[in-house]
Amino acid sequence: MKIPVTLQLVIITLALTGFYTMVGQAVPQKEVHPPEVIEIPTTISTAEMVEIGKSIFEGKGLCSTCHTIGKSGALRFPDLAGIAERAATRKPGYTALDYLAESLYEPDAYVVPGFNPGMPVINKPPVGLTDQEILTVIAYLESLGGEPTVTMETKLVYTGGSREGEAGGDEAAEAVAE
Amino acid sequence: MKRKPGVLLIGLGVLAFVATMIGAFRLAVTFDQRLAFHPPISERGEAEEWTPRQEALEQQRQEEEEAARTKPYEEEEYRAFPKVGSRVAIWVVAQLHLLFAAFVLAVPMFAVVIEWIGIRTGDKRYDALAYEFTKLLSVSFSLTATFGAGLTFMLIALYPKFTNYLMHVFSPTFLPYVLLFFAEAGFLYTYYYGWGKFSPKVHLFLGIMLNVVGTGIMVIANAWLTFMMTPNGVSESGALISTWDAVSNYTWMPINIHRLIANVAYGGSVAAAYAAYQFLQAKNDAERAHYDWMGYIGNFVAICGLLPLPFAGYWLASEIYAFSQTMGLTMMGGAFSWLFIIQAVLIGNLFLFANWYLWLGMGRIQGAERFRAFIWPLLTIITICFAIWATPRSIIATTEEVQAMGGSSHPVLGYLGVMSAKNTAVNILILTTYVSFLLYRRSGKIPTVKWAKTGNLAQAIIFALSAATVIGYGIAGYRVDAATRIGFSRPQVGAVLLAMLLVTVIDVLMLRGAKTTDTRWGKIRPLSQYLLIMLAVTFTWLMGLMGYLRSGLRLHWHVFGVVRDTSPDAFTPTLGFATQVVSVTVLIFFGLIGFVFWLAGLSGKESHAGEEAAAHAAHPSPVGFDPSPAGATPMSSAGGSAPAASAATSSRIETS
Amino acid sequence: MEQFNWWVIVPVFAALIALRWRRTSMLTWFAAWWIGMFLVVRYGFTVPVPMSVVKLYMGLVTAALVAYVLTDAGRIREVTEPLAAFMTERRYLPYLAAVALFIPAAVAFGIYRDMTRVPQPPSFARTIHPATPAEPIDVHGTSYDLGTADNPYRELEETDPAAFKARVENGRKIYYENCFYCHGDVMAGDGMFAHALNPIPTNFQDPGTIAMLREAFLFWRIAKGGPGLPAEGGPWASAMPAWENFLSEDEMWNVILFLYEFTGHRPRAVELH
Repeated sequence: MKIPVTLQLVIITLALTGFYTMVGQAVPQKEVHPPEVIEIPTTISTAEMVEIGKSIFEGKGLCSTCHTIGKSGALRFPDLAGIAERAATRKPGYTALDYLAESLYEPDAYVVPGFNPGMPVINKPPVGLTDQEILTVIAYLESLGGEPTVTMETKLVYTGGSREGEAGGDEAAEAVAE
Repeated sequence: MKRKPGVLLIGLGVLAFVATMIGAFRLAVTFDQRLAFHPPISERGEAEEWTPRQEALEQQRQEEEEAARTKPYEEEEYRAFPKVGSRVAIWVVAQLHLLFAAFVLAVPMFAVVIEWIGIRTGDKRYDALAYEFTKLLSVSFSLTATFGAGLTFMLIALYPKFTNYLMHVFSPTFLPYVLLFFAEAGFLYTYYYGWGKFSPKVHLFLGIMLNVVGTGIMVIANAWLTFMMTPNGVSESGALISTWDAVSNYTWMPINIHRLIANVAYGGSVAAAYAAYQFLQAKNDAERAHYDWMGYIGNFVAICGLLPLPFAGYWLASEIYAFSQTMGLTMMGGAFSWLFIIQAVLIGNLFLFANWYLWLGMGRIQGAERFRAFIWPLLTIITICFAIWATPRSIIATTEEVQAMGGSSHPVLGYLGVMSAKNTAVNILILTTYVSFLLYRRSGKIPTVKWAKTGNLAQAIIFALSAATVIGYGIAGYRVDAATRIGFSRPQVGAVLLAMLLVTVIDVLMLRGAKTTDTRWGKIRPLSQYLLIMLAVTFTWLMGLMGYLRSGLRLHWHVFGVVRDTSPDAFTPTLGFATQVVSVTVLIFFGLIGFVFWLAGLSGKESHAGEEAAAHAAHPSPVGFDPSPAGATPMSSAGGSAPAASAATSSRIETS
Repeated sequence: MEQFNWWVIVPVFAALIALRWRRTSMLTWFAAWWIGMFLVVRYGFTVPVPMSVVKLYMGLVTAALVAYVLTDAGRIREVTEPLAAFMTERRYLPYLAAVALFIPAAVAFGIYRDMTRVPQPPSFARTIHPATPAEPIDVHGTSYDLGTADNPYRELEETDPAAFKARVENGRKIYYENCFYCHGDVMAGDGMFAHALNPIPTNFQDPGTIAMLREAFLFWRIAKGGPGLPAEGGPWASAMPAWENFLSEDEMWNVILFLYEFTGHRPRAVELH
């Protein structure tokens, strides 16, 4: 019995395609859903902000795609364990809060020595967190190696406030103008 | 007279079948109705009078009518496609458009080169081959245009708002695109129908213009889709600043290059599949010889495209990282990291099939037996490299296995899952395939130059040094930090490319004036032809998979970071689902390309019968038929002569 | 090199090389290589390779062997002829019947085994020994920086062996009053409750556990227990209680002394950068 050539080729094509589909089913299956909007009431306490900030850090903020907490060795991105302590001393005249805010709103303004620039601006797409969400993330970052100080009322330079580390509102106004 | 009852029986059979089907359907409907929910009989009151309920219903109906009359016009963002949804519909159509387009762009490239070789050498076979390749084009071109139009209409119908946005950014590019498309049609049809009607130079010029225009079309279309991935030249909210900046975004050039090379590889493999299809249906040795040769050329083109492809891929990936680290990490470390394991299986198969075809091809060359012993070491190396490449970074394991490993990574396999090992494996794979090709090339020739031994030694040393460099850097990669390690891929690639270049130069010099044994085209096991088909299927499937990756990387964005996808399909599906869609697309494509092959075969039937008769007159010997009048293999410029051919005929070696 | 079971790998390859000199049929050769490679992949590693990877590798080996056989017409004949003979010749009929029965029986058995298997919870990747938190931990009001903290009684081992021995004895008492239910009589992680727990209690006899860790790490794990594990360790259902609620700091440090004393391991030294 000889199978017609066309049929043979159909069988081969089906078999090979089937095999590749099977390989596709054998790997872990995961759906990636778009991030959901998180409603943050303005009345929550700082401790609750830390909780929400942590979930944003691990989830829709995509921070944990690059940043680790408590990992040492050859790192591609700065580790954030104990960041609150280091943040206070990174830039002269900046408090930890100022520095963290700048790292999120203007990531390339200061790049930790030994690392490459490349962090996206967090309040712009594709990450695009709201100012409230960023406040909670800052609260979480401050809780790593320190006591969080921000509240939902805190105004950052980028949201119409002034840097804590700087006296006077002139420079802050300038920063806003920029 | 005897056939009549047969026809009657068949007719009765069909009737019986239809009757059975109708019966089964009726039965199913009856059962279904029996199982369906019916409201209790008590509710079916035959009240004729005007009840308050009916009054309320009437009022409701009037209100609805009123609302419908005064409904304001609203711009729709999305419309749904029935059953499968908008995303899958557009996905399949776009992929089919792309597959045909890639084929239509690729074939003229090597058709023109082959025609040019034919004009240079004055060998009519090349001209005939180029014509045969071109024959596949015209139907494919119409199909490309059909799917392109389908894609455009579906974009407008299903994604009106997003399409409108793309118009906003790219409107100046549409007119050139349409004009180029006209020019493409013009050049293609004059090139095809004008075969042999123009002077060779004019015809060659038409072919070159066809390529230039085709590449232009691809480059413009690439601008649109790369913009969606790595937008540029627009404000934060998406307003257009400069169309040129939007065109020349981060991934535009890498995609242009990557697609150009991939098209050549893919087009070559599909053309080889056509040859294989004709080979398997061939009626005589002359046809077999012709299609064997055609398949060989197609496969050669495919391998030439395949070898530099990983390097172009690296460039593309590095540009994606340069545009957005987030996107790069999503690709390599996040949701899509397992896709690269599937890709490894496919590319491993490509290399395996391509090498295997070359080894089988040695069967048609007299004197290739001396290289038979090289096959198993090459096969071993390919298998090991394949295994390393397919070893996943994070292993799927049951709870007990995780407990036994003491974590999710295995102490030994963990070393194989990382970039260093994989880079090394793919470089060695490329080198091995090149060695296979070199052996094939050498199998029909005996060098006559005095320094042949030294040359062989030099080639061996170059290969050894190159492999040592690749492996050395691979091992060193474990001892350095990530930034340095990424830099290591460059010397690895460099060593491989340099070795291939040097060895080719030595080989060309060494085989100058070499004694050529005869190549008996068509004397190859049919298995090789199935391999060609499998290569084409694998290439097509791989293109579908990588297309999904490129598109899926945008996650829930139409234009990454600028226009958000708010449709129900905004989520990224599982890899399993994606592979199913890819498979369906590939099967549709092969259904259609089978139709193209069949048509191309039809148009060639008559003229081929004539040629065949002529060929038989020229070569009366039934075995060892050689379609080459000069007795030359297509890869050698030096020609053997008639005595060599007859020697081949008499001393036909059994492949035992 | 202890990652490989050489007593598997060496004999397998020796046998396969020996096969080269015996004139064996291709079919035997094929089977021998397949089985040999399976043995190497499955049993050649000290830490067994997960089945998913074994299947992947064996698929590749099969493809390669098939490719090797199919590249040569002679080899194909050597493989197909005995198979054809087996299926057509009369004298093999009983064996053929046996095979024909065996295949559905094997499939049935496989299905039976699959259906009767105890359901397994999905496995999650997790870090067995997660990194210590960078910020100091607070136990009974005392703040410990885990990067630098050390057992306050460790120095007694040199300075005052008698006091040290008393501390160890105290640790013994605490261990057998609290810990041995899970961690076992001889600290092998096999106490009477161990079978009910997943992840299983740590086996302190294993040189890969406490011998690799600093005492401060143990202190952190004892004081904070399962509830105190960091999130990056992945989903964790460790049943270890937070012992700071039941034991004093002294008692915890003492039990740590006893763990090392009993098993004979030495704690990892504090690294000073």
